[in-house]
Amino acid sequence: MKRRSFVSWGTAGLVAVCSAIGVSLGAVVRFLTPSVFYEPPQTFKIGNPADFSYGPPTFLAEEKIFVFRDPEKGFAVASAVCTHLGCTVGYFQSDERFHCPCHGSVFNADGTVQHGPAPRPLEWFEVTLARDGQLMVDKDRAVPANYRLMVAS
Amino acid sequence: MNPLREAWQSVVRRDPLSTDKGKSELIFLNVWLHIHPAKVKKENLKVKHTFYLGFITFFLFLILVTTGVALMIYYRPQSPQAYQDMKDLQFVVYLGTFLRNMHRWSAHGMVICVFLHMCRVFYTGSYKRPRQFNWVIGVVLFLLTLGLSFTGYLLPWDQLAFWAITVGTNIGSYAPLMGAKIRELLLGGHAVGESALLRFYVLHVAVLPALMTLLTMVHFWRVRKDGGLSRPVWKLQEEKSAQLVTIGAPDTSAALAAVPASQDKTYGLMEVVTGKPIFETVSMEEEEDTVFSYPYAFFREGIALLVTVATVMAVSLFWKAPLEELANPAKTPNPAKAPWYFLGLQELVSHSALLGGVIVPTLAVLALIAIPYIDSNPSRRPADRKWAIRAFTLFVVVNVVLIVVGTFFRGPGWALVPPWVHITGAE
Repeated sequence: MKRRSFVSWGTAGLVAVCSAIGVSLGAVVRFLTPSVFYEPPQTFKIGNPADFSYGPPTFLAEEKIFVFRDPEKGFAVASAVCTHLGCTVGYFQSDERFHCPCHGSVFNADGTVQHGPAPRPLEWFEVTLARDGQLMVDKDRAVPANYRLMVAS
Repeated sequence: MNPLREAWQSVVRRDPLSTDKGKSELIFLNVWLHIHPAKVKKENLKVKHTFYLGFITFFLFLILVTTGVALMIYYRPQSPQAYQDMKDLQFVVYLGTFLRNMHRWSAHGMVICVFLHMCRVFYTGSYKRPRQFNWVIGVVLFLLTLGLSFTGYLLPWDQLAFWAITVGTNIGSYAPLMGAKIRELLLGGHAVGESALLRFYVLHVAVLPALMTLLTMVHFWRVRKDGGLSRPVWKLQEEKSAQLVTIGAPDTSAALAAVPASQDKTYGLMEVVTGKPIFETVSMEEEEDTVFSYPYAFFREGIALLVTVATVMAVSLFWKAPLEELANPAKTPNPAKAPWYFLGLQELVSHSALLGGVIVPTLAVLALIAIPYIDSNPSRRPADRKWAIRAFTLFVVVNVVLIVVGTFFRGPGWALVPPWVHITGAE
């Protein structure tokens, strides 16, 4: 076999083997990624504005959110998922802060990290008014901590 | 000839065990036993050399496979059936609690024994040439043991399981670049749920045990190929042993008589191979130091097996495997603690998820793997390797301290507490 044809056949073979491995690996990763997620929707209604009281936030366990209602500032929705490793934080009225039971992160009422290993503030989600007058939360839309929804009562 | 005798002979195909040939053939002609050498050095059978930790680890793995298959018969990897099945195992299935206890305590025992085995191999310097790569395989087997433990304690789908997956997969998501993808592939979704349980089940009962079995075979095979167990450290002190040499054959022109004539025997590997044949000189005294594996090694291994099984059974009679409440995604238990062998990691993670959960553990594993390649000191005598021993001891102590702090000194909200609150209850 001539050197030139050895090099070209060898290169072709190497490219073929590498692409076969690459395509197979891609297929494995794609196979392991579900095409359909049977998960609760990220956008959901949480009830009428009148259902929520002023004062300490309301915790919705299934949705893992806190709903704040302030007479002057209106509605805001905070995530109850700790930004450290995903445990559910609790709101303590005694110091008006969120505490994570797993690794001791503490968040202020505006979601910023007071201390602990959490790398980011708690997330705030967009809350809007649906056509039927209910509050609607979209967990896919993060909003700044000062986002508020004013509802005329 | 007696037909029964003939039938027996067709099975065993060896000479009677009363003869040396029979004792050798018992091993050569048996697929299960031939991982053993026909003869072993007496010194290698001593408990104080190895503490039989490798054997005990392997026996625990056998118990785990056996009890694990039994538990699979009454287990469905779905929510909430998984938890109901735990309750059934506890209260309905005959011997259910006992089998689950055995499975759980053997798993804990295996984590301990793998770690102690690793310590033994380090302190006796047994990872050195030519055994470097077998140490690497050992480290991977240790990681597989932890992986099997992690995927295993998720399956009951209790609070511990749910929050362990939540925290564990979130640690994975801190990995650079592909973190989010890793988490999605592990969970089969974006939140911990049914598909996550099924995926961890598949890992636990099929993928990881298969890898574990394959690598264990390679590990054992290499123990043999690397010359059997390492010499006990105390033997290294003796001058005579230190002079043992393996010599290459002289060039083809030279006669075999070039090998020094002495009382020693010279063995050659008589095979049709290209290149130099291999000759090894073994002193007569060496040879007298060996005994047949049957019955000496097998008897001791049998004792180790019996002690292991009996201990696991005894522990399982008196201590129940923990089971918390049904998994509740809305409520994180406080404190949410992993099993003890992960509490060192949890302690690290409580300071920083990226540093403590990804960077430090990765570096620690890489350092463990690299030990035989970094440590170029050929001596295995403790006196010659003070710094290596100090460094490894520091590693062991740090691990133990982290686990002790995580277990006894951490309370609700991962706050520092004095250890006695776990006994007396919080004030």
